[in-house]
Amino acid sequence: MRTLLFLLWAFAGSAFGQLAWENPEQTFNSKPQDASVVAKYRFTNNGKESIKIENVKTSCGCTTAALTKTEYAPGESGEIEAKFIFAGRTGRQEKAIMVTTSVAPKEPTVLRLVVNIEEPVKIQPEIVFWRVGDQPDPKTIHIAVADDSPAKIASVESDNPAVKVQLKEVKPGKEYEVQVTPASVTQPGGATLLIRTDGDNPQTKYAYVRIK
Amino acid sequence: MRALRQALLILLAALVPAGLTAAFHPRRAAWTQDKLLPGEVELQTVLAWGSDVLWVDARSLKDYEAEHVPGAILLNLEDWEQLFPRFVDQWRPEQKVVVYCSSTSCELSHEVAERLKANGIAPVFVLKGGWEAWKNRK
Repeated sequence: MRTLLFLLWAFAGSAFGQLAWENPEQTFNSKPQDASVVAKYRFTNNGKESIKIENVKTSCGCTTAALTKTEYAPGESGEIEAKFIFAGRTGRQEKAIMVTTSVAPKEPTVLRLVVNIEEPVKIQPEIVFWRVGDQPDPKTIHIAVADDSPAKIASVESDNPAVKVQLKEVKPGKEYEVQVTPASVTQPGGATLLIRTDGDNPQTKYAYVRIK
Repeated sequence: MRALRQALLILLAALVPAGLTAAFHPRRAAWTQDKLLPGEVELQTVLAWGSDVLWVDARSLKDYEAEHVPGAILLNLEDWEQLFPRFVDQWRPEQKVVVYCSSTSCELSHEVAERLKANGIAPVFVLKGGWEAWKNRK
């Protein structure tokens, strides 16, 4: 029994001496004009011995973590900075930063970074398709304009006259539906839809129609 | 008989710390192989599917141009608007789409796969181990 208690004490000891993190999980809501976010994870060595940060690894190449120093004395604080570059990503993004210390080299601390990236104009789906021989029933593409965006959908145009499109405003300036109807689906074909926005910075977005 | 009992007691005494070490020690041995994450597929499975697979390379243009799975098309989030039309032209309904990025730790393939699924493309899989698995195939 004494042996068992000793072992439990010995194993429990390994759980101490870790770095204490202030905000190990951080959430950001980005604006359409943002290109990146920077998260700062502050920590303190609450143990009685120095702790060395041996490795900082991110869950994908888009997050970079920078460390000014690697060894922290008891009571000393530090910070890990993670920059997440959006690079075309949209919606909810969850990233992980794994920090390995000399105290527990096989059990990294996982810091989390959650970013909700708002898309100025979101098209869903970006492709509608019919199989050859299907019924040419209409299909719908949804367009959502971000709350912060001043843009409005000005027009939707098909580059193939055999594919008809009809734009409908569901929620003024914010939500739209495009009804797509091919004249025939008896042979392969398709069209590109040009979705144009107005405002100070007019843009053209694309959606695709395919008969395969 | 006494020697046997002693041997058993020693064995039992050794099993307790061994079990605790196996369960809780920071440097414990890995007993199980990495499991497949949802949507992931092993390379051997993809190879068994034969040629009716559309390979999608979710890495950067630089990595793609250096080397890629034969027949793979480039589709990453960074240049999605420019690259998606080519995917649209190459893909056929019901064709299996297999997305890969550089290695197991890379998330880009999962992100591209999710965006394809959100567009109604199915079935879409992520290659476990990514390009590294392809390079190390036997």
